[in-house]
Amino acid sequence: MKANGVTLGVAGVVVAAVLGAGWLVQRTALPAPAPATLAAVRAATWLQRYRLVDSTFSIGGGPVIHGQCLQDWFRTGGRRSRGAALQLDDGFVLLAVQPHTLVSRGGSAAERSLSPIVLMELGGCPHVLARRLDTVAQEHRGVTLASGALTFALKGTRVTLTLEPGTGKPVALHVVARDTKGTSHIRFATVTTRVRQLLSRGLPVYGS
Amino acid sequence: MATLEHAGSVPLGLKRADESARRLPVLAWIAGWWLAGRAVIVITVVAVHRFGPTGWIRHVAHAHALGPLEAWDGRWYRMVADSGYLLVPGRQSDPAFFPLFPALLRAGHALGLGYATAAIVIANVGFLAALVAFHALTNALFGQSMARRATAYLAVFPFGYAFSMMYPESIVLALIALATLAALRRHWGWAAGCAAAAALARPEGLFVALPLAVLAWQQRDTLSPRARGVALGAVLAPVAAIGSFSLYLGTVLGDPMAWSQAQRAWGRAFSPFGVIHAFEGLGRAVAHDAWVTRDVVAVVLYLVLLAAAARAGVTWPWLVSGLVIVVLPLFSGSFDSVGRFGLLAPAAFWGLAALGRDPRAHRLILGLSVPLLAAAIVTLPLHFP
Repeated sequence: MKANGVTLGVAGVVVAAVLGAGWLVQRTALPAPAPATLAAVRAATWLQRYRLVDSTFSIGGGPVIHGQCLQDWFRTGGRRSRGAALQLDDGFVLLAVQPHTLVSRGGSAAERSLSPIVLMELGGCPHVLARRLDTVAQEHRGVTLASGALTFALKGTRVTLTLEPGTGKPVALHVVARDTKGTSHIRFATVTTRVRQLLSRGLPVYGS
Repeated sequence: MATLEHAGSVPLGLKRADESARRLPVLAWIAGWWLAGRAVIVITVVAVHRFGPTGWIRHVAHAHALGPLEAWDGRWYRMVADSGYLLVPGRQSDPAFFPLFPALLRAGHALGLGYATAAIVIANVGFLAALVAFHALTNALFGQSMARRATAYLAVFPFGYAFSMMYPESIVLALIALATLAALRRHWGWAAGCAAAAALARPEGLFVALPLAVLAWQQRDTLSPRARGVALGAVLAPVAAIGSFSLYLGTVLGDPMAWSQAQRAWGRAFSPFGVIHAFEGLGRAVAHDAWVTRDVVAVVLYLVLLAAAARAGVTWPWLVSGLVIVVLPLFSGSFDSVGRFGLLAPAAFWGLAALGRDPRAHRLILGLSVPLLAAAIVTLPLHFP
């Protein structure tokens, strides 16, 4: 009985030693991921969790605009593809569907002349931002974290994404492009049938 | 005989010198096979670098003469060594790659080597160690002639080019052989350390627990209670090592199961019907990428070799662990990479050595292995190992 106790006790010590030494070797030998990359993955996870984002933004110090960006399936060229539709309160609609569809309608001439990527970033289009955040995080470069905000480049623009302390949820954006800049506050929302119906009225194509 | 009878009276220093003198030719013979096999690989890799095909690895294939050896998973091991683990949910990410090899790369880097250089040095020196340990283990289990054939076949085995790449397979094979060799010699503390390290380098390292468990059981009556405890600890060490990986991922990423999540994103989600899906989806997989056929052939080859090993009297723990290493990946619904995974089943090489008892078969095995090894490297830019 005592012999069995000794055997089990020693085995327990060996297992604990392996567990502890293994952890210690990894802790000592491997670098910890940079806080910026961890924050980027966390922000991307928030963005991927939602398909609809409400935004309030202004461009170049202009009037405040309210918009909604929906990630969904759209029918273009006879087939269904994933894409994003950004609709602003003044009736401007921008639709970007993979691989080559980019159409806009309504709104003012000034809005239509703006870079679509700037509009989609300020509108908080979740997959556009999430994909880029995932990529820069995985490359472990191209993203910095300062004062609770992530900064990274996206197709010729510089995006600063402000994160909610504690949760790491994206709450605001500042976008700088070559000839314009803007700021935006975003809020994640749940997609409902009503929202989809409202959006589908303004869209040139919709097939989800 | 006189030497044996009087061995007890020979001074210890002389006995050691005598043993070293006996070992030297064996070590030189193993080093010769290692050199021959690695020379085939290096010459072919340089040829691939210069004349292509560049395929999917254009980026690294052109980096330097041995660039193709850094391809595929090498990028991920380098990333872990350089920047640490990061789980990107739903995407292929690096916690799927076990930590020992990147930790060694980082150690090599700290000594002033580049990651690629460190990886190629560690993998190839590790393979020399693997050949030495495998030869000693096979010699202890089956005798000198089996050990010689099995070691020579392992040195030039066609899928063995992975032993020279930025992959941990050579280290794992060395650790598996060393763990069981230590257990055979009743050095259970060393067995625990090697088994734990093997499991920290590749999940297949876990299956060394089976031969260790049987050895511990066979020795149970001749071990003290304390030594029995160390032996039991050695059997459990691979599980504890994987536990330490989970613990580490829990501390740095906040998710102890990050490696399992990442495996799923790499298409390694295991299900009881996965093997059926692997066969059902084979036509589609081949239509998508005909190189999958290479891994299907590998599965068949390993199963034949394990059957030959069974006929030759290889004991069931080795056969079962070999079978698990070859068959378990199929439960993820895919044949991918089984050619490489099977390299960690020593029983397969004992099966091959048993077939090579016949001199004609021996010549055929060696005659086919070398050109197939070179051909396998030529496919490297086209399909991952």
